[in-house]
Amino acid sequence: MVERADAPYGPIGLAWAGLRHCYPLLLVIVAWELVARGGLVRPLFLPTVTAVLEQFWILLVEGEIVGPLLVSLYRAFAGLMLAVVFGVFIGLLMARSKWAKWALDPLVSFAFPAPKIAFVPIFILWFGIDHLSKILLVAFTCIFPIIVATYHGAVAVSRTVIWSAEAMGTPEGKMLYRIIFPATKPHIFSGVRVTVPVALIIAFTAEMIAGGGGVGAALMFAQRFFQTPTVFVYILIMLATGLIFDRVMLRLRHWLIPWHDEPA
Amino acid sequence: MSGVPGMWLRSGAGWDSLRAAWHYLPIAIVLLVWQVVVEFDLVNRAFLPSFGETLSALWEMTRNGEIGFNLLVSLYRAFAGLAIGSIIGVAIGLAMATSRRADEFFGPLVATTYSLPKSSLVPLFILWFGIGDVASIVSVVLACLLPVIVSTYHGVQSVPPVIVWSARAMGTPHHLILWRILLPSSLLSIFTGVRIALGFCFVLTISVEMIAAKTGIGKLIFLYGENGAYAYMFGGLLAIVIVAYAADRTLLAAMNHLLRWDDSIHAAHVGG
Repeated sequence: MVERADAPYGPIGLAWAGLRHCYPLLLVIVAWELVARGGLVRPLFLPTVTAVLEQFWILLVEGEIVGPLLVSLYRAFAGLMLAVVFGVFIGLLMARSKWAKWALDPLVSFAFPAPKIAFVPIFILWFGIDHLSKILLVAFTCIFPIIVATYHGAVAVSRTVIWSAEAMGTPEGKMLYRIIFPATKPHIFSGVRVTVPVALIIAFTAEMIAGGGGVGAALMFAQRFFQTPTVFVYILIMLATGLIFDRVMLRLRHWLIPWHDEPA
Repeated sequence: MSGVPGMWLRSGAGWDSLRAAWHYLPIAIVLLVWQVVVEFDLVNRAFLPSFGETLSALWEMTRNGEIGFNLLVSLYRAFAGLAIGSIIGVAIGLAMATSRRADEFFGPLVATTYSLPKSSLVPLFILWFGIGDVASIVSVVLACLLPVIVSTYHGVQSVPPVIVWSARAMGTPHHLILWRILLPSSLLSIFTGVRIALGFCFVLTISVEMIAAKTGIGKLIFLYGENGAYAYMFGGLLAIVIVAYAADRTLLAAMNHLLRWDDSIHAAHVGG
């Protein structure tokens, strides 16, 4: 996590650095395999790493991985999109209009700390158990961090810039679109980056609770029949998904707002 | 643009409560709209009980002890997990920030597991520990651990090295540097992590209860939802939302009180 001065040189140096970087993970995997193979615990409780990998391959060939994963990703990102669109709009509105802030501030600060996952039964009641209820739950969870990030970003826009624009007679619509929004983009992006894992977590968890397809539902289904290797496969899928999208967001940030880099 | 809403309220002892009422008026308006919309049958009553019905259901559940018992069970799981997770998290974060070896060991593990939904481990924990408090608390601990580790790490990293050097020059022993300098200076950052973890601990507790449990407020809400007793479902939900809000406010107040000497606390007021 820290930049070091002693950067590795050459292929051997790079390989050595990679190994050094990954050794705790390898250690965990080796320990897991040894414990499982040594017969310390029953395979029902902890299958071997090799059994999990084998199961991964079988599930992949049977199409039990790509399909559910696409369903979960669709729900997570559709919800996130809704949250970004409405969250940015509400955040900017609260920053620009005193009345909007008065009306929305207590609602946002009341709803922000609420554990939104508790709303699963209500969302099932209102929107069924298929895509819609999950998408809206994701949106409902993600919108508050985005509102807050946008609001704080928009409020922090330099007064002089706004005054100059006002002095030149810029109308409010243009002010939002040409000045406030671009200046707020880094904050909005930070908010979105924080909410990407949240969106995935909520989608997966809602599927675990309510069923209706997706990786979470597949995980619970496997658990019901005590197919522990399959449970592990789906857990590792969730882990990999989270990791990959975190990397993607970092790249995206660099690409979208290159003038405002943030450490990983 | 008009002035600040509520500007006409003068400051002063008597005016403060009026000012607070003005601040919370939007919540009252939302509740009123909820009541009116249901009363006049603008929405299907089967899908939305009125605010009054919700309140009376909540009152009934409070009187027969249903809310109290399940809330206590859930809070025990959430706060036990939060406390254990925060203590371990601060310890690991401190170790990572002060020892290169610890950083190299925990760094990759933290980076890898950070974005894993901890609720995905619940089926395993149920398999290992059975349905009950242990499975809940272990998943809450794991969820609370990571934000606290990361915020402690960043807090300690951003302590100005000059302070540490001065202390060392004056012959301060290593454990005192940790205890008297690094910890207090990174307290604001640690608190920020704990506040995130506080949110996580409720989410995880309720998720676990909804996935598999016999007791707890999450289970209560889920059961009433399945049985179609929606006023009671909304009542339970209202209870947990209020409790989560109160817990967050309490932590914020504690943070402001403990860190009243820290100038950066005034800059760090975010999230309402």
